[in-house]
Amino acid sequence: MVQAINQALSQNMEKDDSVVVLGEDVGVDGGVFRVTDGLLSKYGPERVIDTPLVELGIIGMGIGMALNGMRPVAEIQFQDFIYTAMDQIINQAAKIRYRSGGEYTAPIIIRTPYGGGIKGGLYHSQSGETYFVHTAGLVVVTPSGPYDAKGLLNSAFKSQDPIVFLEPKRLYRSIKEEVPDDMYMVPLGKAKLLNEGDDLSIITYGSMVPTVIDTVKKNKISADVLDLRTLLPLDLEAILKTVEKTGRVIIVHEAPRTLGMGAEISAVISERRIDYLQAPILRVTGPDSPFPYRLEDYYIPNEKRIMKAVSKILEYR
Amino acid sequence: MAEITSQEEKQKLVKAYTAMVLSRTLDKKIVNAQRQGRVGFYTPTIGQEALQIGAAMALEENDLIYGYYRDVPLMISRGVPIDLIINQIMGNSADISKGRQMPSHYGSRKHNFMSIQSPVATNLPLAVGAAYSLKYRKKKNIVLTTFGEGSTSTPDFHAAMNMAAVYNLPVIFLCENNGWAISLPVEKQTKVDIWKKADAYGMPGTRVNGNDILETYAAVRTAAKNAREGKGPTLIDAISFRMGPHSTSDDPTKYRSESVPEGSEKDPLTIAEAALKALKLMDDKMLESIKQKTVKIVDDKFDECEKIPPPNPVTAFEQVYSEQTWMLKEEVGDIL
Ligand SMILES: Cc1ncc(C[n+]2csc(CCOP(=O)(O)OP(=O)(O)O)c2C)c(N)n1
Repeated sequence: MVQAINQALSQNMEKDDSVVVLGEDVGVDGGVFRVTDGLLSKYGPERVIDTPLVELGIIGMGIGMALNGMRPVAEIQFQDFIYTAMDQIINQAAKIRYRSGGEYTAPIIIRTPYGGGIKGGLYHSQSGETYFVHTAGLVVVTPSGPYDAKGLLNSAFKSQDPIVFLEPKRLYRSIKEEVPDDMYMVPLGKAKLLNEGDDLSIITYGSMVPTVIDTVKKNKISADVLDLRTLLPLDLEAILKTVEKTGRVIIVHEAPRTLGMGAEISAVISERRIDYLQAPILRVTGPDSPFPYRLEDYYIPNEKRIMKAVSKILEYR
Repeated sequence: MAEITSQEEKQKLVKAYTAMVLSRTLDKKIVNAQRQGRVGFYTPTIGQEALQIGAAMALEENDLIYGYYRDVPLMISRGVPIDLIINQIMGNSADISKGRQMPSHYGSRKHNFMSIQSPVATNLPLAVGAAYSLKYRKKKNIVLTTFGEGSTSTPDFHAAMNMAAVYNLPVIFLCENNGWAISLPVEKQTKVDIWKKADAYGMPGTRVNGNDILETYAAVRTAAKNAREGKGPTLIDAISFRMGPHSTSDDPTKYRSESVPEGSEKDPLTIAEAALKALKLMDDKMLESIKQKTVKIVDDKFDECEKIPPPNPVTAFEQVYSEQTWMLKEEVGDIL
């Protein structure tokens, strides 16, 4: 995935000189996860900007660039460190179009690695998608593999809205996929059915996708697996379609349960398709606690927990 | 080099040197263990011993410390036993926070050392609040807060400096200026010398050679005296060099060629040794014997701590609140 994102960045920079990359250690070092490796030597320090250590400044400056015709890609080294910039994200980026009567837009792309599984403890493992999804005006995207990462990022460069692009860091190097060389698009706002089955639907995204797919395959479950890909706005059509088909829904995410994506998806379904449901909607999520270091495997949802929910929902009559 | 004259200060210097050797030895041990896969991650402190331990020499036991992830020498010089540090690095069941935090994120209330966070400079406003509470209770104690020079770019640094000066609080801002914030050199971090920033907030700012333990000690001693006498905060820019990588995940050859080798004349240990010899407090033989003894102490402690089992899984979900929420109870039931 690191390579796919790097390629998308490079190709968009090549094609469009309004694209710049800014963030901590993105230039000379090539990023702490090597996502921006090689960009500095290709495009120079005016376009690959090593910034001082200030997330608020990185994003605020990026928004200012975006307001004036540039296409900034701001990297926040870990999603856990984005919070000092939340004022700029929530009160500026997300609200500029609205408050200016559409005269201004801020099409900034904010890229940031999120999620656990790299032994990062409290501050290098958070899944904070809900903070962004709760903010109208933002588009929130999270790929689950290299192909989608590149395609979604290509689409992000075409968007006129601010994009929060959440990269599941434990999948950075673990998933291998064919990635075409051309600048293909994966549309924003569209989920993808990764597996088809009849007995139940598992709705998931980002870092949990490979775990869900492996679980379904290994245990020979007949399940629809829907990868949301865009968390805001949700792909309502795709969600309702799979619910109509199976009538049994499990939502899997790594973020804490309370007010996680599962809560919203569950509400959207029960408001519209309660008659189709044959069992209560279940959630398999991270717990409502900070993310631990040594015992991180207990935090992240795993096969065992997913299977427990699968049995429960299939047995429900 | 700064002067020390009293017998008491000379004793302090001997003690400080022992702490320097202990932290250097422990540091190297942990880095090696990380390479062998026995430790997950670590932020080496090599090169920053003098400024931290020099600062600690000027503090009293009940002064409070709000540090950051590169402060092992500071902890050691405050009397924190090395097993507390090793247990944290291992994240084992003897660790104070039960392996919840990534390595390099220690803390010990008993030693007035606030538990460390990763987001840089977020400790600074806390230090200011702590200083306010000391002043409010009319205590003579003060607060020391530490951070790298990269951290001075944050909003937290600005907020803390401004408020500390506005309320004239007993807090010392010790900038561990090791020249690099991961790959960014200080010249690209800020356009002005760090110590000059103090002026803009209305507090004294000084620059010291942070590799010289006596120079740092002298500066912190003055700052501490002022703080205790109600004369408010000070910013100290302790110039040093990050002799190791940023962390065990970092490869500095990607972005810098300069280095300060161990034992070279800029190495804080070399400078301290010269001072000890000049003051006739130690000779080469004594220095060497301290070093050798320390290796054994560290090796033994490390092996001992390594045998301690991991924490019980339930502990990963405890102490979120004073009482566990119904949500978490339910979730833990499902997990375990
Ligand atoms: C708010 C925040 N942003 C980014 C990071 C990631 N990060 C960890 S250490 C570091 C560099 C810090 O440099 P400096 O403050 O000079 O301290 P040093 O590590 O050199 O001791 C960065 C960018 C972080 N920990 N916190």
